[in-house]
Amino acid sequence: MPTGVLHTLAASPSSAAFAECLRMIQPGDALVLLADAVYAHQNEAALPGASLPQDIPVYTLRRDCEARGVSPQGDNIINMADLVTLTENYPRQLAWY
Amino acid sequence: MVVIRHSPYSSSMARTALDIVLAAGAFEQPVTVLLYGDGVLQLLPHQQSDRLGTKNHAKQLAALPLYGIEKIYADTQSLTQYGVDVALAPLPVESISGEAVQGLLSEHDHVLGL
Repeated sequence: MPTGVLHTLAASPSSAAFAECLRMIQPGDALVLLADAVYAHQNEAALPGASLPQDIPVYTLRRDCEARGVSPQGDNIINMADLVTLTENYPRQLAWY
Repeated sequence: MVVIRHSPYSSSMARTALDIVLAAGAFEQPVTVLLYGDGVLQLLPHQQSDRLGTKNHAKQLAALPLYGIEKIYADTQSLTQYGVDVALAPLPVESISGEAVQGLLSEHDHVLGL
């Protein structure tokens, strides 16, 4: 069972919440992109300051990408059931919005 | 540990967070407060909330030590960004930065973000 924190980030890449979340994340944590945070996948290379951490698992909720017309790249595109499992595996969670 | 990221008055987040912190204190649960991002704006002195016809948030904060809540921290980067001087804050607050913030998170079993 991981001892890190599961960060659920629901704010857009231009928001303070997004930057603050990324600043607080440390090795051992995990990140889930929800709601407007999935826009981090939109034009990923060009968005300054939206570069996602490379040293921890980053998950993206498929449903929120599809709703917004965002095509996420990479692995760890998850569905709701996967999200529930993540919350079961990480006893500590911090919501960012 | 309660992480407060919102400023007072514009939303009820900071006020709600204080209610939660006070409730924890009333039940004698150890609680740590971290002010992060806009949350450090709660520390500005001379808040004249009567201009908005609402409760004075700084006075609410000042009451925390009376309830045994003394572990109150503020993120150095946010304080610097907004030019907030902890020496002028309504209650004793420790400014901590970067790794110390992450270390604080590691020390707590339960975290709540508002």
